[in-house]
Amino acid sequence: MVKNMNAEKKKTENVAECGLENIRMKTQNLSVFYNNDQALHDINLDIACNKVTALIGPSGCGKSTFMRCLNRMNDYVEGCRVTGKVRLDGFNIYKDNVDTILLRQKVGMVFQKPNPFPKSIYENVAYGPKIHHLIENKDELDALVEKTLKRVGLWDEVADRLSAPGTSLSGGQQQRLCIARAIATKPEVVLMDEPCSALDPIATARIEELIAELEQKFTIVIITHSMQQAERVSDHTAFFHMGHIIEAGDTQKIFNDPEHQKTKDYIGGKFG
Amino acid sequence: MIKIFERRTRIAMNRVKKKKSPFIYKSYSKKPKHKWLRKRNAQEQRFKRTGVFCILIAFFFLASLVWNIFSNGYSAFTEAQINLPVEFQAELIEDDAYRKIIQNSLLELFPGIEDRKEKRELFSLISRNAPHILEKIVEEDPTVIGRKSMVWIPASSAVSIFYKQHLYEQAKRSGKISTSQVAWVTDLARTQNMRLKFNATFFKNGDSREAEQAGVLASTIGSFMTILVCIAMAFPLGVATAIYLEEFARKSWFTDFIEININNLAAVPSIIFGLLGLSIYLNIFGLPRSSSLVGGMVLALLILPVIVIATRNALQAVPPSIRYAAAALGATPTQVVFHHTLIYALPGIMTGVILSIARAFGETAPLLMIGMVAFIADVPKTFTDPATTLPVQVYLWANNPELGFVEKTAAAIMVLLTFMVLINLLAIYIRRRFEIKW
Repeated sequence: MVKNMNAEKKKTENVAECGLENIRMKTQNLSVFYNNDQALHDINLDIACNKVTALIGPSGCGKSTFMRCLNRMNDYVEGCRVTGKVRLDGFNIYKDNVDTILLRQKVGMVFQKPNPFPKSIYENVAYGPKIHHLIENKDELDALVEKTLKRVGLWDEVADRLSAPGTSLSGGQQQRLCIARAIATKPEVVLMDEPCSALDPIATARIEELIAELEQKFTIVIITHSMQQAERVSDHTAFFHMGHIIEAGDTQKIFNDPEHQKTKDYIGGKFG
Repeated sequence: MIKIFERRTRIAMNRVKKKKSPFIYKSYSKKPKHKWLRKRNAQEQRFKRTGVFCILIAFFFLASLVWNIFSNGYSAFTEAQINLPVEFQAELIEDDAYRKIIQNSLLELFPGIEDRKEKRELFSLISRNAPHILEKIVEEDPTVIGRKSMVWIPASSAVSIFYKQHLYEQAKRSGKISTSQVAWVTDLARTQNMRLKFNATFFKNGDSREAEQAGVLASTIGSFMTILVCIAMAFPLGVATAIYLEEFARKSWFTDFIEININNLAAVPSIIFGLLGLSIYLNIFGLPRSSSLVGGMVLALLILPVIVIATRNALQAVPPSIRYAAAALGATPTQVVFHHTLIYALPGIMTGVILSIARAFGETAPLLMIGMVAFIADVPKTFTDPATTLPVQVYLWANNPELGFVEKTAAAIMVLLTFMVLINLLAIYIRRRFEIKW
C-alpha cells in the first residue's frame, strides 16, 4: 500500500518535471466510476497554460471521461461518480459549493459532431455572451460576434448571411462555428473532443490551423485518434490506456522516444 | 516463370469461380425458369396486390360514409320559401296578431277552404316562425303598415323536404304531409310562388323544436368555448408535466410509476372521464352543470395524457448533443429547456396538441355525463352558461324522430367534419412549415 502510494507520488513528480511551468489545470488522484465500474484510475495530469495538450489512446480508454471531468459535464451522465481533485488555477472544481455554470463559462467545450443550434449563425455565437452578461449592448455584441467569427476564419464566408441558420453551413464550417461559439464566452480552457473526426482532410487542416492560432490565447485540450494530428498540433501528449495514464509529457518525446512499450506499440499502430 | 505463375493463377481463379458460384443467372427475364424464383416473384406481387386491396376497402368505406352524409345533408343548406301576398293591417299589427295576417294571406292564396281540418293543413304549410319574421319586417320598416306586399316566407319543414323532393316518399309515408298539401305545393311551384334559398337560419340559430328553425350556431360557439377552456387547462399542465419528466426528473421508480400511469390514462375510455368530472367538478367543487367551463375541464383531463406523451416524444426528438452544447456553454438547466429544447420541440408539441384538440372537439360521451346534452336554444355568452357542443348536437338530432332532423343531423356532421379537416390541415401546415430537420 505504502509502496503504491510512493509509486504514484513518483509518477506525479515525473509528470510535473516535464517542463510545465505555467500550470492551468491539474488533476490529482482523479477516479471516475460509472455505477460500479471504474473508468479512470487515479489520474494525475497537469495541463499547461496556453499550450495544446493532446489526449490519445484507444477507444474506451477514458479520454472522453477525463475530458468531461475538466468542465464537470460528467454531472449530466447518470450514475457517474468522481473522486479526487481537479484544480483550475489552483481551485478545486469538485468542491461542493462550485457553481458549475460559471465553471463552464471558463472551460468551454467543442464536441465530436458539429452541433450548432438550429438558430441563426449570429445567435449561435451570441448566445454564450448573452447568458453570461458579457456584453452591455447590441453594438458590443455585434463587435464580439464579428471578432469571434474572424478569429475562427468564418467571417468572410458568412458575413453576408449571419441570419441564416447555423445548420445550413457545411460540416467544416459548422465545426468552426461551434469553436467560435465556445470561445465567444471568453473561456480560459477549450476542450475539444475529436473535433475533426466528422470532417474531410481539407476542413481538418483548417481546424488544425485554427487550433495553432487559438493556442496563443487559450489553453486547449484535444482528444484525437489521429497520431499525425496529435503530433502536428500538440505541445504535450498524454497516452491513456484502460483508464490509466501510461505516459505523459512533451509531444516530441512521446512520439520519438516513448518510454513505455505500450505507447510505442500504440503510436506505431500495433494496437488500438 | 511469370507465365507459369499467371497460368496457375488463372486455373486457381477458375476453380474458385466454379466452386463459389454454383448458380449463374443465364437471363434476367421476369419469367424465370427456376421454380423458387417464380415463387419469389409471385410473393412480391401477392403482397403488393393485398396492399392495394386493403386501401381500396378502406377507401370504399370512407367514400360511402362521405356520400351518405352528403346525400342526406346537402339539402339542409337550402330552405323552401313561399311567396305570400301579405296585407299589413294596422289593427292586426297593433294586437300583435301576426299569425292572423299569415292565415289571411294563405286563405287569400287558396280561397274557398272552409273545412276546419283543411284550414289547419293549409296553415301548417308555413313555418311556425313566420309571425316573428313579419314582426321583424314591421319593426325594420314601419311604413309597410297598411300596405300590401309580396313576402317570401319559409315553408314548414315537411313542406320544405317535400319540395326538395328527395324525401318525398318518406314524407308521405310518415303522414307528415297530406294529399291536399301536396296539391297546394304543386300548385305553388307551378305558379313560381315557391323557391329554394340558402338556409342562413341553420348558421344563425341555436337548437329548436322546429326542424326548419334549428341551427348549429349555439353548439358551434359552445364547442369553441369548451375547446378554449380545454386548451387553457390542458396545454400548460401537459407541457409542464412533460418538461419536468423529460428534462428535470431523475429516473427512479416513482417517475417510472408516473410514466406507466400516464400511458394507461391515455387508453382509458372517455366516458370514465365524464364520470370523474361529474363526481369532482359538479358534486365536490359545485361548478355549474352543463356549462362549457366544466365541459372543457373534463376534456382537458381526457387529452392531458395525450399531450404529455406527444410533448415528451417531441422533446426526445431533440438530439442530446444540442442539450450538451448549451450546457457546455454554461446555460442553466432551465435556460437549456427554455432557450433550446422547448423551442426546437415546439412544432412537434403543437402538432400533438392540435391533434389531441381535434379529438376533444369530436368527443361526446364525457359531455353527456356532465349534462351538456341539454336543449340549448340560445348562444352561450359566458363560460358558465349552459352550452352544448357540435357532436352532442349531432347526437341529439340523430335521436329526434322528426323527419326534418334527418338532414339537419347530416348537415351538422358536415359542419363538424369541416372543422376537423381544418384543424388537421393546421397541424399538417405547422409540421411542414416549422419542423426542424436534424
